[in-house]
Amino acid sequence: MKFLRSIAVTAVLALPLLAGVPGMATAAEEKKAKSIDELAKMYDSSGCKQCHEGIYNDWNQSLHARSIFGTGRTALTVATTVKVGLMGWQYSGVKKPEDVKVKHLMVCFKCHLPQMAEATDDVAREIVKLSIRYGDKATSSEEKDKIEQKLSSININCLICHQRNAIVHKWVDGFPQKNEVYGSKDGTHADSNHAVMKKSPIMSESILCGQCHGLGPNFELENPSQCGTLYGSYLWAYRAEGGQESCQECHMKKSKMGHNMQSYSDINFGKSAVDFQVETLGYIWRDKSKMIPQTLVKVDMTNRAGHSIPDG
Amino acid sequence: MTAKDSKGKEIAKHTRIYMPIPQQLGRGDKMGRGPYEKSGIIRDNGLPPHKPVHEQFEIPFPAEFKDGKTNILDYDMTVEIELMYMPFGDKESGITWHKVTKKVTLEKGGV
Repeated sequence: MKFLRSIAVTAVLALPLLAGVPGMATAAEEKKAKSIDELAKMYDSSGCKQCHEGIYNDWNQSLHARSIFGTGRTALTVATTVKVGLMGWQYSGVKKPEDVKVKHLMVCFKCHLPQMAEATDDVAREIVKLSIRYGDKATSSEEKDKIEQKLSSININCLICHQRNAIVHKWVDGFPQKNEVYGSKDGTHADSNHAVMKKSPIMSESILCGQCHGLGPNFELENPSQCGTLYGSYLWAYRAEGGQESCQECHMKKSKMGHNMQSYSDINFGKSAVDFQVETLGYIWRDKSKMIPQTLVKVDMTNRAGHSIPDG
Repeated sequence: MTAKDSKGKEIAKHTRIYMPIPQQLGRGDKMGRGPYEKSGIIRDNGLPPHKPVHEQFEIPFPAEFKDGKTNILDYDMTVEIELMYMPFGDKESGITWHKVTKKVTLEKGGV
């Protein structure tokens, strides 16, 4: 869930830079989506399944595949952000849900849906309407199912990590192009929509994940917030202390979860992240002449992850 | 951590919470809860990476104290220690990562 924090920063920063680079037809310059369906189509990665079925199915089990719906709780938090946050703040410009614009939702969607930067305010309003409707007790279960389906159709999929956000240092490595996919090598790619395969220098590096899994407040926003602080913890409490493993090594390779990459919610992964030892000792303590029978319980825990547990 | 006597009656319960305490809007002494209002850290009580965290609990056995004498009412105690991940702050939605149960028995007799 918290894999997705600062992706849009790079996109937002890229906009003025791209304006002066002829021939750089990037995602940000494409025509903006006017509906959830259009945005889903713009970032449709269902074609990847044809050749990468196992990976696609793994991803489909992940929270990335439902990044703005989550377990339902994420959608409800979007609604709360509007009703309690935006509508409660004097200078937000939001007095009612219909006032919400893309920029208002980027406090969440910078990471939960970075491609939102390529959508119009109509999409922002559509998402808000559905999120509020989902939380309404009067909404039928059939309608809730439809809302879940619709909100889950836009997510963090192949094209986000392997294209849109595959490059962090665009002045050094170039700007991601719509006809490219990024992985571990250069070459051609058997997909007419994405015929070029390029090596991303950061595909196995933690900074790829760090784009979203946060350093702290997102100061580029008019009203900053922080949801994930995990990458900050990784940098300053793990790497700075000599830790050497990457996000991908633990969450994808060692866990054998690949693109499913669960974390806290996976019982076995959570269990493996923390060593847990308990010792007990029964004895009778003597406080002057008073005999006090008691048990000493000693609990020793060591977090084996490359970041604080939990974060946020 | 929960302790029960030999009849299963709860005699002690202690909870420790490990989590960062985000600062509301990056100012003052109040914790922010909604992700839209978190902009700082008041303190971090999460489990730090690769650093041991130790907890100790001292649980008294049921006993009566009268005229300078101690009458131990139960010589057995069962302690259950559970480490849970609670994404929404409640046990109902919690996920148990570790659970250890230990029986403790006091010796009878002695000087």
